[in-house]
Amino acid sequence: MPPSSLRPPLRAIFTALLPRSSPTTLAFRLAALNSPHTPSHILSAQPPVLTSIRHATHAAAGRANGGKNGPGPRLGAKKGHDQYVVPGNIIFRQRGTHWFAGENCALGRDHTVYATQPGYVRYYRDPGLHPERKYIGVALRREQTLPTPAGAVRRRRLGMEAVVREPEVTKIQVEKPLEAGGMVMRPNLQFRLGNWQIGRVADGVRVRGFQKGDRFLAWRRREARKARSAEKRSHKAKGKGKAKAKGKPRKVAA
Amino acid sequence: MAAVQRTLGAGSSLAQRPAALLVSRGFTTLPALHAVAQQQQKPRTPAELLDPNLVSTVSEEHRLIKHQKTMPIGSRRRRAALGSTANIPFEQLPYQCFQEARKVLAADREEKLVQIQTQRERIARLEAQDEAVSGGKAEKRRRLDSMRRHLEELKIWADINDPIVKKKFEDGMGDMNKPVYRFLANRKWHSYKRPLLLQRLTQMNVIPDVIPHLDPVMEVTATFGRPIVPGDFVDSRRSEHPPTLHVQPFTAGSKLVTIVVVDADVPDLERDSFGFRCHAIYANVPVSPTQTRIALREVEKRGEAGLAWLPPFAQKGSPYHRLAVVVLEQPEGVTLDVEALRGVQRDGFILRSFADKQKLTAVGATMFRAVWDEGTAGVMARAGIEGADVELKRKRVAPLPYKKKDGARYR
Repeated sequence: MPPSSLRPPLRAIFTALLPRSSPTTLAFRLAALNSPHTPSHILSAQPPVLTSIRHATHAAAGRANGGKNGPGPRLGAKKGHDQYVVPGNIIFRQRGTHWFAGENCALGRDHTVYATQPGYVRYYRDPGLHPERKYIGVALRREQTLPTPAGAVRRRRLGMEAVVREPEVTKIQVEKPLEAGGMVMRPNLQFRLGNWQIGRVADGVRVRGFQKGDRFLAWRRREARKARSAEKRSHKAKGKGKAKAKGKPRKVAA
Repeated sequence: MAAVQRTLGAGSSLAQRPAALLVSRGFTTLPALHAVAQQQQKPRTPAELLDPNLVSTVSEEHRLIKHQKTMPIGSRRRRAALGSTANIPFEQLPYQCFQEARKVLAADREEKLVQIQTQRERIARLEAQDEAVSGGKAEKRRRLDSMRRHLEELKIWADINDPIVKKKFEDGMGDMNKPVYRFLANRKWHSYKRPLLLQRLTQMNVIPDVIPHLDPVMEVTATFGRPIVPGDFVDSRRSEHPPTLHVQPFTAGSKLVTIVVVDADVPDLERDSFGFRCHAIYANVPVSPTQTRIALREVEKRGEAGLAWLPPFAQKGSPYHRLAVVVLEQPEGVTLDVEALRGVQRDGFILRSFADKQKLTAVGATMFRAVWDEGTAGVMARAGIEGADVELKRKRVAPLPYKKKDGARYR
């Protein structure tokens, strides 16, 4: 139950939710909710809303009906039959595969046919390969025709020249440092213990169990910690410039 | 449960065990009485209690091999089945439907045996018949071939439904002299390995480049230490010595074959193209369904090689070299002159001309690939091959001159 100071606003909310014109009171409505015989249209009574919206009759931005006489995608043959091409030359631009890539040609991401070897463009069909497809190929020699007859040795170009072989780059040989102590050079040129050795470091370590009343041990630990931190602080002080050292002298625990 | 049965099997052989002991026991944490008795007699480690007839997991097999120095017996499937079921002989399994089905199969087999007998008699009659009566020499031969083919089919049909045959084949214990096992092996080969081989041969263009066409009828597996899958890249040091081949024919009878190894990607700088090189020729090698292993190294040691093995190599920078191992069948009763084969020119070797000349037909093939690797220079030096100091580099193709368009279009 909310405190009495909050009650009037709550009531105000309930009355505001009810339509003004409705004769029903809150008590009547709550009773109706509980009654199994209440007709559904009373429950679904909604406050009145706007019923007409004025739609736009013209586009507010952008071109509505224009844009039909642009430059066009410039599709079609870029190289004709028997024309000389070098690798990478685009031979045919298309949407979809009206033409397929034949010998010494490849099909690009947008189905562009381009040359992979220098040679002469050929437009042809290959019923042995596919009865319906049209192919674009590149013949390596001017007099060569495509397709290559079925079962014949492929005509290929080496396209390479012989040079003197460079000697193999030998792996960097670093001598083992004297203090290596079982460390070896890892593939990333780091000297460190092998993972199996690191894993066994904790093998011989014995941890003494905690003894509640051992104040002597606690004192020794505390003293050791103090000494460590004092040493650390002294390093810090040394590292700083002279100007600072001149200023306020720092307290250093002995 | 299974563990109990395994301890059970440790002492006695399975077949001799009395049936009373083999009745499955219900779930209990206590070991069986006889198992207790055995353990009391001689305490043994768990590894020693493993039964080679019953181990069915990989770790158990390893332990068995390690501690008892014995190999598991039969297939893992068989051992698992033995370990998990009562050991009743297969024919005596007490299922009514099973026994009825066996009767049907047995009746069918009897029928097939009668048909085989009839067919044999018919063939004998036709063989004895005069050619003029049976419609000429060619017609008689055609009819005899057809009848013999049908006889082979009948032999397969007689045994194909036998579960024991299936089991033996799966265990690798099938006798390849029998038509049914050859049939099963052939079917298995057709299900995966043969299509894979053909795919590799066509995708890597061995088929138009080395041989115009191939319909393999023999399974060929090359083994450099371990078997290669067609198309594998083989390290030059592994392929320094000739492989061991497994050539498995699926038809009866012994045949003589010639084995040729061809490199189809030899760089030809003068022609700016690729050529062929013959790496080995072994002629007059007998193969039969049961004689499948051909250790080429031993063939060379016996001095029976036509052209001895030249290690495959690829110069640095050159595209991968495809090496085709082609098995060619010699005409029946014809042996090739090995001495003459030693004069065959390795460079520019054209397999199709060689096969035409010697009247050979390709019956099987496999392939592998070679590229320049760390060991190639050493392999070439040991084999006395020159060219390890040469590297191939791509030639630059001059770009087409850029034609500047007339200035009007840039205004």
